[in-house]
Amino acid sequence: MFSRWNWVACGFCLVLNICSPDASGGLVQSCGHIIPESPVLALGSNFTALCILNESCLDFGNIYASQIIWKIKNRVVPKEQYREINRTVSSVTFNDTSSLATPLTCNILADGQIEQNIYGITVAVGLAPEKPKNLSCIVHQISQSTYIMTCTWDPGRHTFLDTEFRLKYRWPEQVFPDCIPKGVNNSCTVTDAQFFVNTEIWVEAENALGKAESDRLVVDPVDIVKPLSPQNVSVSSEIIPTALKLSWENWISDTVMTLKFNIRYRIAGDTTWMEIPSEDTASPRTSFSVQGLRPYTEYAFSIRCMKEDGVGYWSNWSETKTGITTEAPPSKGPPIWRIIDASHSPASWTVHLMWKALKPHEANGVILQYEVTVRDKSSLSSPLKKYNVTSTNHTLQLPEGTYEVTLIARNSAGASPPSVLLIPASNSKAPVKNLTTLPKHDKLWVGWTAPNSYVLKYVIEWCLVSSTSDCVIEWQIALGDVQGIDLKGIKPFKCYLITVYPLYADGQGSGQSVKAYLKQDRPSKGPTVQTKKVGKAEAVLTWNHLTVEEQNGFIRNYTILYKTIDGNETVVTVDPSKTEYTLSSLTSDTLYTVRMMASTDNGSRTGPDFTFTTQKFGKGEIEAIVVPVCLAFLLIVLLGVLFCFNKRDLIKKHIWPIVPDPSKSNIAQWSPQVPAKHNFNAKDQMYPEGSFTDVSVVEIEADDKKSFSEQDLKPFDLLKKEKSTSEGHSSGIGGSSCMSSPRQSVSDSDEGETTQNTSSTVQYSTVVLNGYRDQTPVQVFSRSESTQPLLDSEERSEDHAGGADSTAQRQQYFKQNGGQDENNTDRPCFERAKQITHGNEGDL
Amino acid sequence: TGVVPFVALLLLQRRPVAGRALLVTGSGCPSHGLCRSNVQEQTRRQVALLNATAQELFSLYLKCQGEPFSTEADKLCNPAGIFFPAFRVNRTSERKEVMVAMYKLFAFLNASLGNITRDQEELNPMAKELLERLHNTTKTTRGLISNLTCLLCKNYNIFQVDVRYGDSSKGKSAFKKKQQGCQVLRKYVQVIGQAARVLLPHLSPS
Repeated sequence: MFSRWNWVACGFCLVLNICSPDASGGLVQSCGHIIPESPVLALGSNFTALCILNESCLDFGNIYASQIIWKIKNRVVPKEQYREINRTVSSVTFNDTSSLATPLTCNILADGQIEQNIYGITVAVGLAPEKPKNLSCIVHQISQSTYIMTCTWDPGRHTFLDTEFRLKYRWPEQVFPDCIPKGVNNSCTVTDAQFFVNTEIWVEAENALGKAESDRLVVDPVDIVKPLSPQNVSVSSEIIPTALKLSWENWISDTVMTLKFNIRYRIAGDTTWMEIPSEDTASPRTSFSVQGLRPYTEYAFSIRCMKEDGVGYWSNWSETKTGITTEAPPSKGPPIWRIIDASHSPASWTVHLMWKALKPHEANGVILQYEVTVRDKSSLSSPLKKYNVTSTNHTLQLPEGTYEVTLIARNSAGASPPSVLLIPASNSKAPVKNLTTLPKHDKLWVGWTAPNSYVLKYVIEWCLVSSTSDCVIEWQIALGDVQGIDLKGIKPFKCYLITVYPLYADGQGSGQSVKAYLKQDRPSKGPTVQTKKVGKAEAVLTWNHLTVEEQNGFIRNYTILYKTIDGNETVVTVDPSKTEYTLSSLTSDTLYTVRMMASTDNGSRTGPDFTFTTQKFGKGEIEAIVVPVCLAFLLIVLLGVLFCFNKRDLIKKHIWPIVPDPSKSNIAQWSPQVPAKHNFNAKDQMYPEGSFTDVSVVEIEADDKKSFSEQDLKPFDLLKKEKSTSEGHSSGIGGSSCMSSPRQSVSDSDEGETTQNTSSTVQYSTVVLNGYRDQTPVQVFSRSESTQPLLDSEERSEDHAGGADSTAQRQQYFKQNGGQDENNTDRPCFERAKQITHGNEGDL
Repeated sequence: TGVVPFVALLLLQRRPVAGRALLVTGSGCPSHGLCRSNVQEQTRRQVALLNATAQELFSLYLKCQGEPFSTEADKLCNPAGIFFPAFRVNRTSERKEVMVAMYKLFAFLNASLGNITRDQEELNPMAKELLERLHNTTKTTRGLISNLTCLLCKNYNIFQVDVRYGDSSKGKSAFKKKQQGCQVLRKYVQVIGQAARVLLPHLSPS
């Protein structure tokens, strides 16, 4: 029981890495310790550690070396590496320290189960320093009398341990304090470098595993100096225009070291330096005269120095200083050219002389003025004309002729050689041949084949072609022995018109022109296409050429792309010179979308879409339909008219029916006092027997009544009633006609009383009853009750009663009368009559 | 060994002491590898450098001491009353003799310049240029002594030279310190010129 409590208590103490079984001493003691304490081990070596338990712990807690467990960090070391040396000492061995980590702890299994820590150590594993290599030193001049020496070296491999580097240096009998690097391990700076003493320098690297020294460097610090570059550099002009004097001050006195120099120079603005031959500046000096320079040119100079014997380092280049050489006379005359304007009058020229300002290296100074001399070569007696001009152009009014123009440029140092330009009366000489262009990077090369004659020089004119402004001419002169030049300042994607003129000693050749691009691009926009005319199966497309600014190159072709809404696109390539194209084989009455693409060597650009619909009918189709239809119609109308004309009488009768004039009626001759039923003879005279052959007569016999049904006969009954009710009131033709129906007549003839009552009326109608079929008709006179006089026509019709057409006419009359009755509101009567007729026909 | 006396000598040179004789003893030359052939030329260049800067140093010293030194230099800086190593050699003297004399001279100068530098750091701490020149001259003198030691040892097998230093200025008044420095530097200007002239034929590159 005691033992268990003891272990618990001691275990608590062990957790804290302490156990105090011996409290009498008043000191806290560990139950054990490890040997060696915090070792530094070489990587890859073997290592053995011992854990030694205190005897007091053995007595107190019954712990022995056999219970010891070694751990690296929290990982238990395999027990194969343990060795129990005695009851209080256990060792662990590592054959390769690379497997070690920190901490290495000695632990014990208390009571066989609870693991408690006894002691732990930190283990450092690393490498001994390598020998520093490549030691080198340089002495930097900081000020006139201050020099610092910086030495650098290769520290070698990483040691994984704290490694101290020390730069050591000494004189023969004096060792100086070490230079200890700060923050680095490969360089150190000594602030009191002393010249003219051989100094031994080396580097010492040291850590817990060892020490290493570099090779020793013996050097006089004066031999490794990098001096400050010369100061107060100045440039002054010399008397001669091709020299400048460069002066400076040295930071180092000759007593310390003598110097040699490098001088470099360049034209201000250039990037390339030229250098004075080193042997010219190999001796100590504070000035140097640079010769062979261009007159009136700004030069930039820079200088550096080093120890005269060449041992050491070059200083940095000094600050650049500039100077300008003095002026000299211009080395050549300005290039001159002309533009002749003879538009006003062919006999009088406006000559625009223009020349180029000399380049700085040609002008050799500031050009103060130009002297222009014009000599008329066609007239030897003409005086020379001289002009002093300060600009680079001059305009002259000259009569047409041959002139020699001489130009001289002047500066403060003198005049240039003259430039001569011959202006012939005409450019009649041979031109150049095979004028071509070729882009070369940012320049445009223009080449040509020389004419057979000797050419003094060529003038190359070029201008930017623009649709909005005039061509502003630039020009350049090339020597006569060249057959091509590079044009500079040419912009890409712009069209240039280039013209080359050969100049001969006695005249000038005509110019040859070519258009060229330095670089082409695809057009900036595509052509806008539209239809000029749309047909059933074709459409005429039209477009405008792109402006030269939009082209960005030579238009090689146009491409027309068209399609229906759901159809495939059709592509047509068109010559770039055209502005119109006819699409054929189109589908009628179809919507087409068309667009146009302009192409250069470097790409294409498509213009906006345009839609159009083909027509439903082709040209002439409508005419082919309409004209025949119209002709047919006209023909029909014409035939109708002719027919009507031929049948005019018939038509006339239909339209204007002949209404008999009752006053002229023969019946009017009847004696009104003679009852109609007694005037059989008179009637017989007027209408001989059988004259009414075609008159339809309804012959109703008394017996026939029976053949009609009661229903059929009802209208007759009604008629009777109506007659009886309206008899005394009827007075019109219609009424008369209606009343003069056969039935009425029959009834009238049957009733004598009624006849007497209407004695005042005129009897004008006769009803002839045809004989049934081949039977002889019985004429029956009917008396008209109308008071209206009979018309003449009736008389005439009666006159023609015996004609061939009388039957038909009478039938028509009868029906027409019926129609009139209809129009005269007595229609029911007529209908009834018809019904009667029908009824009879049916019976027939 | 021979190194110890040289080190002791240099330590003493840094410490201003009154004139004493130090023996340089030993059987071998210190750092034999550093005693190369160029030491002779280095020595000449060092003497020439000291000669070239001596007058400027003296003028600057006078300027920095203020009145009455800047106006009464001839009187106040007369070196007649102070100790200065005798430099009784000329161009015809033996090279060995010249070397020994040079050693004595610059051993004395090195110690004296140390005294002067210490005094000026106390009296004129703001005279940076003067202090810098004094430091540089002292460093050059040290290098010269190192080279002379090398030459004496290597060429003449001389391991000991009796040298004497000047009076220490420690404890003296400011004026006396200034005056002593003025007297030493004036004499130094005179002697270094002579040394340079004497040394020229002896140390010219052969």
